[in-house]
Amino acid sequence: MELHILEHSLKVASIAKEGIQICTHGLIKLAFLPSKTRCKFFSLTETPEDYTIIVDEDGFKELPESEYLSVAEATWLALNVVSGGGNATSSQPIGVTKIAKSVIAPLADHNISVFMLSTYQTDFILVRERDLPMVMHTLSSEFTLLRVVNGEAVAANSTGVTNGFVKPKLGNHLPRPIIHPLSSPSNMFCVTSLDPDTLPSVATLLMDVMFYSGGAKETGGQSEDSGHIRFFSFSLIEGYISLVMDEQTTRRFPNNVLFTSASGELWKMVRIGGQPLGFDECGIVAQISEPLATADIPAYYISTFKFDHALVPEENIQSVIGALRTNESTGQ
Amino acid sequence: MSSGYKPDILWSPHHADRYVICDTELSLYRIGPAGSSETKAGALPLSEETAATLLAINSDTPYMKCVAWYPKQEPECLLAVGQANGRVVLTSLGQSHNSKCKELVGKEFVPKHARQCNTLAWNPVDSNWLAAGLDKHRADFSVLIWDISSKFSPEAVPAEKVRLSGDVDSGLVVTKPLYELGQNDACLSLCWLPRDHQKLLLAGMHRNLAIFDLRNTSQKTFVNTKAIQGVTVDPHFQDRVASFFEGQVAIWDLRKFEKPVFTLTEQPKPLTKVAWCPTRMGLLATLTRDSNIIRLYDMQHTPMPFGDEVEPTIIERSVQPCSESIISSFAWHPSAQNRMVVVSPNRVMNDFTVFERISLAWSSTTALMWACGRHLYECTEDAGQGVAAAEKDIATKMRERAQSHYGHDTVQVWRNHVLAGGDDPQLRSLWYTLHYILHCSAAALQETIGPFKAYSVKVILECTTETRRCWSGSDRQTDVPWYHSEERSLALQLCGWISRGPDIDVEPFLKSLEQEGEWERAAAVALFNLDIRRAIQILNKGASAEKGDLNLNVVAMALSGYTDEKNSLWREMCSSLRLQLKKPYLCVMFAFLTSEPGAYDAVLYESRVAVRDRVAFACMFLNDAQLPRYIDKLANEMKEAGNLEGILLTGLTKDGVDLMESYVDQTGDVQTASFCMLKGSPGEVLKDPRVQCWIENYRNLLDAWRFWHKRAEFDIHRSKLDSSSKPLAQVFVSCNFCGKSISYSCSAMPHQGRGFSQYGVSGSPTKSKVTSCPGCRKPLPRCALCLMNMGTPVSSCPGTGKADEKADLTRDKKLAQFNNWFTWCHNCRHGGHAGHMLSWFRDHSECPVSACTCKCMQLDTTGNLVPSDSV
Repeated sequence: MELHILEHSLKVASIAKEGIQICTHGLIKLAFLPSKTRCKFFSLTETPEDYTIIVDEDGFKELPESEYLSVAEATWLALNVVSGGGNATSSQPIGVTKIAKSVIAPLADHNISVFMLSTYQTDFILVRERDLPMVMHTLSSEFTLLRVVNGEAVAANSTGVTNGFVKPKLGNHLPRPIIHPLSSPSNMFCVTSLDPDTLPSVATLLMDVMFYSGGAKETGGQSEDSGHIRFFSFSLIEGYISLVMDEQTTRRFPNNVLFTSASGELWKMVRIGGQPLGFDECGIVAQISEPLATADIPAYYISTFKFDHALVPEENIQSVIGALRTNESTGQ
Repeated sequence: MSSGYKPDILWSPHHADRYVICDTELSLYRIGPAGSSETKAGALPLSEETAATLLAINSDTPYMKCVAWYPKQEPECLLAVGQANGRVVLTSLGQSHNSKCKELVGKEFVPKHARQCNTLAWNPVDSNWLAAGLDKHRADFSVLIWDISSKFSPEAVPAEKVRLSGDVDSGLVVTKPLYELGQNDACLSLCWLPRDHQKLLLAGMHRNLAIFDLRNTSQKTFVNTKAIQGVTVDPHFQDRVASFFEGQVAIWDLRKFEKPVFTLTEQPKPLTKVAWCPTRMGLLATLTRDSNIIRLYDMQHTPMPFGDEVEPTIIERSVQPCSESIISSFAWHPSAQNRMVVVSPNRVMNDFTVFERISLAWSSTTALMWACGRHLYECTEDAGQGVAAAEKDIATKMRERAQSHYGHDTVQVWRNHVLAGGDDPQLRSLWYTLHYILHCSAAALQETIGPFKAYSVKVILECTTETRRCWSGSDRQTDVPWYHSEERSLALQLCGWISRGPDIDVEPFLKSLEQEGEWERAAAVALFNLDIRRAIQILNKGASAEKGDLNLNVVAMALSGYTDEKNSLWREMCSSLRLQLKKPYLCVMFAFLTSEPGAYDAVLYESRVAVRDRVAFACMFLNDAQLPRYIDKLANEMKEAGNLEGILLTGLTKDGVDLMESYVDQTGDVQTASFCMLKGSPGEVLKDPRVQCWIENYRNLLDAWRFWHKRAEFDIHRSKLDSSSKPLAQVFVSCNFCGKSISYSCSAMPHQGRGFSQYGVSGSPTKSKVTSCPGCRKPLPRCALCLMNMGTPVSSCPGTGKADEKADLTRDKKLAQFNNWFTWCHNCRHGGHAGHMLSWFRDHSECPVSACTCKCMQLDTTGNLVPSDSV
């Protein structure tokens, strides 16, 4: 297996809902006019609380300075697991589940905080730039580490730095306790994508979904209480578009524009956190992904500025909740 | 992010006259000759000769991303279309009645997760297999290999889950691929490997090229590279693959897959298409975005397989098929040589043939060959008898001359011009000049005057003393100044007018001219010697001779009327009418008679008169001031013209080499140059690099003609005249025991007193029997045939018949010497007497040593060539 350390230097920011209008110019440029910027990594996720933006340094310049814009202090690097030269097919589980044991758990054991972003195409594990030597040290045994420089992958060698937590407790056998409260909204989600060539034709619709959901939210205020959640994610990373939206929203798109799976699978969400989680606590992703990996349940995982979100197949939601609740109870 | 599709073009694999243009729809065209009746209506002109007719349009498949044409004959016109959502649809153009096709048309192959289909490729052997390269999906494979004959299998996808896919009803949707490859990556381009149809070359997003074998998909060969777009295999060289990234093309050798064999010069704009020419080996065409030229890379001369250090040479060219318009795409014609159709963004098409480079080569004989495309042209000299000697190619002439021992006559040097064919006035003059020069210098050596090899008129004429002579045979006494000195008479000797001796007697020369029937020249020479009566006598003789020209009598009459009255009618008429005389010597006779003393330009600059005669004339009638100026001027003229007659003036000095250089530049006759410079030249001139170059080239020519005997003769001839050119011994035979050269150790011990030839064997077969190493006294190896130790002369062996010996003693003696030589095979190291070996291999192909199967003689590449000259 190969672990690619991508060359993007990323910023994680939050835009308050009421301040979104001052940022729309920059966001539209980043999302729909990629030829006008040098930005290669852009992700926007709308949650009921705020908009979370993950963007590289070139893209960050497009955003105005504002009181509504809060930026996490660190610079983040994206890691990407590539099945590389090795075996092609063996493990069926996808997404975070696949890398839970090989990447997420070891990083959690070494007290390295991660920020997850799953897309239609792949999973990105964001780590703080200053943690990189430690990350490399932790993962070098399992992976061939390649650093992407100017578009070419070059071998990166671990520098042998440790952060003091030399050999952590063997947590693998003990279930990781789940600390934060979980909730599961009732609406179902699609993870999808579209042909970049057709993006202009649905740009206005997407803008509407992204920025003008406020009105819909008011009318759906009660529905949120009844378990519905406002959640939408758009990312444009190295030319690939990925979308996460609820089932109702997909119906607004014309036929044959969104990429769908042959099976038409739908996902349900597990939302993690009662209080904003912050960026320093580690092991949150591991707490969720490890039980899922044990149960062989595929999952997407999207971290935002305040909370984390895991998507699991709708038919598995009960067993997921069950599995996580067990851990919750054992933890307490 | 433009949604404007740029048209691409695809040629039918089996119908050389059909192609498809695909942008938002598929349009099938037929190409035909322009103006023919069947293509007239609605035909689009593609070039001056060809036009295209639209046959069918198919717009059933929106969101087209890539198209691939079914590679088999039947069903024709079946196309696979890859769509933006990853579905692959089979469709057809203008074949609605074809039942075989009907089953397949409309069939869809749907990936589990939708994303763009980047590339499609039909398996060239198992044509049911269609490989589709898709974009990345986190949970799906990027390469799906579909079997187009497979039926829809409802159990593959549970019915209740099929919510978003539309037309499952028709039973034409296939969701289960035959193979899935490349997880967690995108596939930008792929191709099947023609060497093994189970192997697939993929280019993935994560900057790698990988070769998968479908029989074992877990194993793959892969290499990291940026060049991951447009992988394509050279149809003529199945291990050679091109791929590109932005502006750079990388060429790979699959046998050595670690890094590109080489990369082509980077283009400033990104490439859009790279294609190998199917009709010509190693020709790659590339197109960049928004460009109106197609760049061609010719890898003809690339050495294969590639060495590590050798940077292969590639010839880069560019063509501009349609003058201004930007090219959107192009496609090579599958069978017509170097032909392609290009299409512009607004679908203007152009039929275009890339002109083939012409390569040209001269043979060492006269033939000229050139190749253009698949045609080979040979231009040979007409070998018929009717060809005039002067028109023959210099190579033919040199071959003929080499055969007739041209240049080898060292006794009668002038005879060489006869050996050369005797029809070239320049060569005639040259060899006569050389003859006189050598003659004079030989005489000078006898009288110990000094080294006279540098003899030339120019050198000789330094100081003269004046004497006067009167007209003889005429009543009138005139005062024509006539100069004489020892040097001038020496110059006259070189000109051939007089022979050695104190007297100025041209009579022998006149006699020889009369014999050769050169009446006019003889008369002119007589006149210049102020013997007008003798001149008239010669002319009369000429008129009365067999086939004589009666006009000569008229000239004699005119001559006899000579008067030195300045204003006479004779003078007036002669000076004007002489210009109408066709014979140059008659012309100069009257010019001489009508000129003022000292102003003889009409004679001196009459170029049709031989240089030697003009120089001799000048020596007699120009004063000390005029003469050197004239000689200098003439010498320079000759040098520039490369006229060999000028050797008379320059001699074989450095000036002579200059003159010869311009002669060789004009004629290429290195043969004459080599022989001439060897003949009379002093040492310094022979060391001139130009002279050495002529000699080496002549030797190479002889080798190329397989005139090995002539080459050897030339080398012998050369070493006689130029002792410095004698080659040193290059081959020594060393003793197996002490390792010393057996000839060397011999020469190191002079008391031995036995003569060894340079190859270590005694020159005289009867005298010596050196059968042991002179250094260590151990015996020499034995001949594999006679089993005698080497050094034993062959003549004592029973193999040589006595009768032959008597037939030609000298020849046989030479041969006998050679027969004694050591020979051995460099491969099996067996050998023996050269004579024995030669006779053995006349009847056998294998080595004479039993149990040795070495085919020694066949290993000798030159051994199979027969010399084309006779000894």
